[in-house]
Amino acid sequence: MARYGMVIDLKACVGCHACTVACATEWNLPAGEARTHVRATPVAGTFPALQSSVFVAQCNHCDRPPCLEACPSGATSQGADGIVRIDHTVCIGCGFCMEACPYDARFLNPLDKKVDKCDFCAARIERGQEPACVATCTASAKHFGDLEDPGSAVFRLVYEQGAQRIESTAVAVGPNVFYAGKPAQLALVQTSFPPRAPRLPVAGTSLSRVLKGLVLTMVGVTFAGQAVAFFNQLRTGEQDFED
Amino acid sequence: MLQRHLKKHHIAIILLHWFNAIVWLLELLTGAALFSSALFRVAPAWYISIVAGIFGSRGHMLQFHVALGLTWIGVYLVYGVFGFRTYLSREVLQNEIALDRDDYRWLVVRTLGILGLTREMLPPQGVYNAGQKLFALMVYVMLPLVMITGIVMTFRLFGPAVVGWAVVLHFCAVGAVVCGLIIHVYMGAVFPEEKPAFFSMITGTVNELYAYNHHFKWWTAVKAEQRAWDRRHDAEAKPVPEVGVPD
Amino acid sequence: MKPDNLSRRQFLGTLTAAGAATAVEASAAEPRPTGWSGSERVEKIPTICEMCFWRCGVLASVKDGTVVKLEGNPHHPLTRGRLCARGNAGTDLLYDPDRLKYPLLRVGARGEGRFKRIGWDEALDIFATRLKAIKAAHGAESVAFFPHGLSPRFFSTVMSAFGTPNSAEPSFAQCRGPREIGYGLTFGQALGSPEPLDIESSKLIVLIGSHLGENVFTSQITAFGTALAAGAKLIAVDPRFSTAAAKADWWLPIRPGTDIALLLAWMHVLIAEGLYDQDYIARFANGFDSLAAHVRDFTPEWASAITDLPASTIRDTARAMGAAKPAVVVHPGRHVTWYGDDTQRARAMAILTALLGSWGRKGGIFLPTSIPKGSFDLPPFPDAPRGRADGAGSRFPLASEEMGVTNGLVDATLSGDPYPIKAWVVYGQNVLESIPQPQRTRKALASLDFVVVVDVMPVEQINYADLVLPEATYLERYDTPTVVTTAKRPFIAIRQPVIEPLHESKPGWWIALQMANRLGLDAWFPWKSPAEHLATIVEPMGISLLELQSRGAMDFPGRPYVEDRTADDGVIQSSSGKIELYAGDLKDVGADPLPRYTPVEQPPDGFLRLIYGRAPMHSFARTQNNARLYALMSENEVWLHTAVAAQHGVRTGDRLMLENEDGVKSQAVKVRVTEGIRQDCAYMVHGFGQGGRWLRRASGRGASDTGLMTRVKVDPLMGGTGMRVTFVRPVRVAAAP
Repeated sequence: MARYGMVIDLKACVGCHACTVACATEWNLPAGEARTHVRATPVAGTFPALQSSVFVAQCNHCDRPPCLEACPSGATSQGADGIVRIDHTVCIGCGFCMEACPYDARFLNPLDKKVDKCDFCAARIERGQEPACVATCTASAKHFGDLEDPGSAVFRLVYEQGAQRIESTAVAVGPNVFYAGKPAQLALVQTSFPPRAPRLPVAGTSLSRVLKGLVLTMVGVTFAGQAVAFFNQLRTGEQDFED
Repeated sequence: MLQRHLKKHHIAIILLHWFNAIVWLLELLTGAALFSSALFRVAPAWYISIVAGIFGSRGHMLQFHVALGLTWIGVYLVYGVFGFRTYLSREVLQNEIALDRDDYRWLVVRTLGILGLTREMLPPQGVYNAGQKLFALMVYVMLPLVMITGIVMTFRLFGPAVVGWAVVLHFCAVGAVVCGLIIHVYMGAVFPEEKPAFFSMITGTVNELYAYNHHFKWWTAVKAEQRAWDRRHDAEAKPVPEVGVPD
Repeated sequence: MKPDNLSRRQFLGTLTAAGAATAVEASAAEPRPTGWSGSERVEKIPTICEMCFWRCGVLASVKDGTVVKLEGNPHHPLTRGRLCARGNAGTDLLYDPDRLKYPLLRVGARGEGRFKRIGWDEALDIFATRLKAIKAAHGAESVAFFPHGLSPRFFSTVMSAFGTPNSAEPSFAQCRGPREIGYGLTFGQALGSPEPLDIESSKLIVLIGSHLGENVFTSQITAFGTALAAGAKLIAVDPRFSTAAAKADWWLPIRPGTDIALLLAWMHVLIAEGLYDQDYIARFANGFDSLAAHVRDFTPEWASAITDLPASTIRDTARAMGAAKPAVVVHPGRHVTWYGDDTQRARAMAILTALLGSWGRKGGIFLPTSIPKGSFDLPPFPDAPRGRADGAGSRFPLASEEMGVTNGLVDATLSGDPYPIKAWVVYGQNVLESIPQPQRTRKALASLDFVVVVDVMPVEQINYADLVLPEATYLERYDTPTVVTTAKRPFIAIRQPVIEPLHESKPGWWIALQMANRLGLDAWFPWKSPAEHLATIVEPMGISLLELQSRGAMDFPGRPYVEDRTADDGVIQSSSGKIELYAGDLKDVGADPLPRYTPVEQPPDGFLRLIYGRAPMHSFARTQNNARLYALMSENEVWLHTAVAAQHGVRTGDRLMLENEDGVKSQAVKVRVTEGIRQDCAYMVHGFGQGGRWLRRASGRGASDTGLMTRVKVDPLMGGTGMRVTFVRPVRVAAAP
């Protein structure tokens, strides 16, 4: 079974947005939305000693995705191939998963109000094609393949050429979109776009930590109380009304 | 008196009651399987996969839950729009579910009695006893909550923040109703003393003795109404049996 | 007989008996059945894009007559399946509700923009009647033609057959004209488009004023990205910290207008330190001694004060070039009409290229390979006894007569000199945006007897037209195929309709045939259908038409490098067969035979030089109404240095207006405060601030750089309009009058 990953070479990427438009047309997203995002670091330094980099990101299909358990309806799942998918027939649009993603890779589709994100163009992969963004990338900066296949470009870029994960000491969930670039460039990107701690909205934490336990306890207590009454009834032999 | 019957429930109420019961059963069974991640699940993993398996996919399971829920809301709306005056106003507007001093006393005595801690006699009750009134009040609040939060989730209204809270409230409201249901089902179906009450939800009537014993204030009012009617229609008047004289 | 619009199937059906063509897998010999793509019945039809002018290969997925997706065509030899943001967004041009749908006839005053809808017959009759009348009264030369791109070849034939020599496209005098002339004078041939740069094999890429990366041409970006990923070094000379500058190993924030000084200093270092390609120069070049003498005193120290760059940087970058030669590509730029001395700057860049030995070498600029191309046996075009009016060949001695000088035609229209111009026919050119000094263009338009615009989108200039003819978009039409010799493997690529034209739009070839017919010019149109036209052009190539239509493009072996050529194969196409470092032709017209730095005017106190450029999600002024591209960038911003912004008390996101030296104010525009620009410059992306109200998304969004260009510096050699000579100052947003 393949374990899919991506390497984005920031030396090559020019931030042209071919990927966002290809993605949006492939998946019929409304104008302005896409499952991959083009950003840029701020311009660091003072003229003329300046530094800046483009940065393209999307769902990282992490080794340990925090979004999996944040989804209350089970719409989000991860396959053996590593791809984290959203089953849109089950998504209720509560947005817990959006808060849980340390990379803010998920977004709300304004058309159907459900959550959407990159799935490495799983349907295209099944047909033997590359993800739409990889196929269209004008700078040939995006590389996709099986991280466990020593013959693949991504394997070489990650394990032989040291393409990096965007991680911090606090948040290390094993993202499988790696980045190549000049050392100073990668350092700037790491500091400009660090992952944030996964979190749940108050609704989610109150449900999972407090209310679920409370409600289940109340139901249990009621049931127990009712059971006691039942045994009492059996013991004292409550008469049928007719008697 | 055992042979004489008083009409307690309109046929529409009966139908609605059982419709409710079936819907709630199915919705609870599917609803419990909808929460699936470790953080949120309320049923064991094997249960969740069995139920999802019955429907083929989680998507179909959710579709069923939603379709049934919307049907349930639809039926209530129809009742509410067309049947309010006929079936529901008596209960809601005419204070048959408002609690009075007898009711509060009844609650205390009944609870202690059930737990085997007292043998005191219960104060007289109306057409619904205090326990039933409490359940009704709780349901009147929780059911609209379940409906509204269900609609919010189904149509993803007002954005994810609101939908997220709808999940929470939907669950809590359902939980409250389940607690009430445990007692309600026990009282209605398991507790032998209430057997006539159970059957009244099928036939629509209770025998007079039951009404006299358990819902004295109601029995009194019905009798008074009968006598007043008889007086207004002298020609058809039949002698009214004395209280306590067996037929 | 009037040929109808042909659907793609009909078009193909006239060619082969085998039936409709299909999308072909790379290695399969037999084409797959039509309509098969994975699990869905979607037809994939190859064509070439026209969202800009690079003409990348496109595969259009068509389902039930609707184009559902555009992606790159993997069989296109240059772009190989890749496609930029604009190409991917082509469906939003096709289905843009604002596009021109039916012929329009002006009813109000010119400029008012009031029209009445008419039918094609009436429109074409009006066209022919008016044109014939103007020819009778004022001569055919009084009709000026403003084309642009691949598509107008049909119209060019009409106009030439009609008898006017006055045709000018902005790609010359507003864009790459200076480099074609400058490199032509040096190497004996123009660069052409796409320029034959071997970026993917370069060890060092030198960008002078090119902002490749924000300026996106798919295959060139692929080469750029591939080279950088492989470790190629980059020198970016740019007053602004562009995307390319951010990737550069050396960013030279040069004082605008001083590029020639930098180039001369580089030449000085290469020669003084013996870093130039001595064998190559000995073998291929004339005039080295004159050059060496010329640059002897142009030291880095001399250039440093002029360019505002440290001498050490100038020296280091020259040495880097010397070390990496000949695999150094000095990007010639595309839009190079900056200061009016642009031909000389192009000459300097060509000379530098020659010194590095990179002309015809791997990693430098490779040589084009021609391929046989069919043509039509046409009668000669009528003579124009009064000659051209745009100055090409006369006022502008070196200007290309094939491409013309647009501003020359504007001048002639306004002045009546050398003779009055009475009508303009505009095809696919947005004259109010492409030509600077739009105030003059508006005056010229207002003065004409007859103005015809053939276009896809209702840009502002249609308000000045008497007749507006809606052309079908590139996805709905056949055009002359593109035959590219400036590729390592030369190729032919075709544009074919993927769906029937929407609304009442018509493809250009049909419109041209109609025009020719009504003007009595049928003799110049021996073909009556796209199939015939294509068959003639392709005939000498010896390829299968079916395969061409299935794949979208076919390539041929190329001979791009010096090593591939024999002596009589012509490495250098000049008359001497050698690279002319010293341009005697320039001397003959009274210009410097070797480039000289002449100072350009600097902005007065309080003013900034207005510089402009591109954004990767837009093409010039043509895509601002596209829904997807608009969502990515709906307006432009003016970049101001932190210190300048502080002076004016503005922060990022504030709005201000720019006022030029003639008191002309721009629309209100958002500010972007950045360290990444020189303090003497203000930068904006071109193509915004459009007027005209027909483009419901684009109208009034952002600010127009063109509108501020009331002054230009015209290159006396070829007529190019230097546009980086506008000085502006930020002013508070004034209330609307």
